[in-house]
Amino acid sequence: MNLVLTRIDNRLIHGQVLEAWVPFVKADCIVVANDSIAGNPLKKMMMQASVPSRMRVEIGTVADSVVLLNSSQLNRCRVLLLFGTTSDAVRAYREGLSYDQLNLGNLHADKGKARFSCTLFLNPADMDDLEMLDQAGVKITSRCIPADGERSWRKLIPSAKGPI
Amino acid sequence: MVISWKTRLYIWFRLLLLQASWNFERLQGVGFFYALLPGLRKLYKGEELLAVSRKYVGYFNTHVYLAPMVAGAVLKLEEDKASGEADPTVQVDDFKEMVAAPYAAIGDALFWGGLRPLAAGVSLFFAIKGILWAPLIFVVTYNLVPTWFRTVFFVRGYRQGMESVEFIQKNRLPDWAIHTKETAIVLLGGLSAFMVFSHLNQQQLPSWLGLLTLVPMVMLGLVARKGMSTLFLVTVTVVTIFLLGLFWADMVYLIAS
Amino acid sequence: MTGSLAFGALISLVCGLDRVAILQIMISRPIVAAPLTAMALGEPLVGVQIGVMVELLWLARLPVGAAVPPDDTQVAIASSVLAILLGQELNASGIELLLLCLLVAIPLGKIGQYFDHYARQYNVRLIDRVDTALDRGSLLGAEFQHLRGLTSFSLAAVGTYVAIVLGGFVAIPFLWPLLNQSLSHSSAWIQLALPLVGVAVILGTINVSRAITLFCASFCMSFLLMWLV
Repeated sequence: MNLVLTRIDNRLIHGQVLEAWVPFVKADCIVVANDSIAGNPLKKMMMQASVPSRMRVEIGTVADSVVLLNSSQLNRCRVLLLFGTTSDAVRAYREGLSYDQLNLGNLHADKGKARFSCTLFLNPADMDDLEMLDQAGVKITSRCIPADGERSWRKLIPSAKGPI
Repeated sequence: MVISWKTRLYIWFRLLLLQASWNFERLQGVGFFYALLPGLRKLYKGEELLAVSRKYVGYFNTHVYLAPMVAGAVLKLEEDKASGEADPTVQVDDFKEMVAAPYAAIGDALFWGGLRPLAAGVSLFFAIKGILWAPLIFVVTYNLVPTWFRTVFFVRGYRQGMESVEFIQKNRLPDWAIHTKETAIVLLGGLSAFMVFSHLNQQQLPSWLGLLTLVPMVMLGLVARKGMSTLFLVTVTVVTIFLLGLFWADMVYLIAS
Repeated sequence: MTGSLAFGALISLVCGLDRVAILQIMISRPIVAAPLTAMALGEPLVGVQIGVMVELLWLARLPVGAAVPPDDTQVAIASSVLAILLGQELNASGIELLLLCLLVAIPLGKIGQYFDHYARQYNVRLIDRVDTALDRGSLLGAEFQHLRGLTSFSLAAVGTYVAIVLGGFVAIPFLWPLLNQSLSHSSAWIQLALPLVGVAVILGTINVSRAITLFCASFCMSFLLMWLV
């Protein structure tokens, strides 16, 4: 398996991923690890319909995606992996998927979340998740699209606004 | 209960203001509420209307040109709900959430990624020739497809409701986006060749030199792929050409002597 | 002069709003905005030339989701205004002055990016007001808050325009005597290079496999055709 980008983005597959990241990392396969999309055939179909047919898309639950990524099925692909939440990313890591870099894209605002950058809103549980991954040696950076600068998530903490 | 065509027309016009309050927290959320409000007013009253409104101002974002299609379908779903013939398995919120990101992805690829460079390429041919109508040509060629999507699909979304997603699924629009981009690249190739060729003619230089332009262009393209900013590339290019221009005569003189 | 500047500001407002807030009929693209401005100021050809040079530069920066590109609209409008007004002021004409205005304006496009960013951030405040309006039971209030977002986008657009024009009026009369002569050696080449840099950036970032190969093939084909004919 050749994992070219691991990203947390609550919108999963959307313009930033397809138009900016895919050409930048030259991915040819997108794996979406999300339980709710995987469990809803219509949502799954819609998401698949938004990707050009020459790209391979695998949408599965977090557990299934880990199995798929650790199998030899995607050996020839350059894989772009998407999680919807930080807890999914941690679950995948605990279930044996190893990745050494994690990109934070969009995590949208909600009650009880603090603002870390324009597009990143985290609550204390998210912080714990990222802390755990960071301890495990994953390099976590925030970068919305490739044209933006890359910033370590720790550097964002002092500028956080709102309750942590 | 049916929403009259006058109200729908009003909603369509309001959709032109969809992003007036675009912000990093709810994106188009408030705008979508603003656009649909005339319709919601017809279907709900009093406290109920306020409760529905609170739901609508939440997070929402899709492509501006495809938002009318979502709006049309949402109106239909709300109408069915109000008249009690709704399919209980389909929640309006779920529908909104389900289509928002895929439509955004499709729209970004098709309109921003494909159509914009294509229309720009077409109009620049005219602009380089010094034809003053070039801007009009851009606006007209570009807007044909978006206007079609904004109007026809608003109507279709309202007529078909939930089923309006089938069009997107069946027609492989993302593949169309790729074809549009490929066409745009071919066109930009022709445009670049044309610019270089006419420039060399003006400078009374041999034409074959023009083929050498590909070398710096491919290099710049590869550097841009690495994530280098346009501003940096412009600076480097302009400074290089400026210095070359300054010292060209001296260099030629030195080499010749 | 004041009239022309104000006219430019009006166009900058309308075209600037088209970028994000309303319509999106792409009158915000440089190839439209610059000629429009220049036409209003009586020298449409200047606008077309500027439009050609700016249009492709940031075309590859797609306004996807929350990503904000540099403000090429205001760069195009402001440099058209600068080129025309300073041309009259300094009694200069020709592509050199045009290029100088553009080269001063292009880096300032970054300011537009910040202002746009700031406007979108400022609009977050409207959300609380929308929520309170709804709690009060005032739908009209909520609608009004949505339209208030237009103010921040307008300020961002016109603010960028003013910043670039001011920067130009300060820098260009000073730079012009210094660079006028030296620019004349390379002006035609820079005029050619700017759109080509834009094309190169598009090739590097567009989501099409083998974009560069396709481009080279098309370039060579067209070139040979023109050569033979």
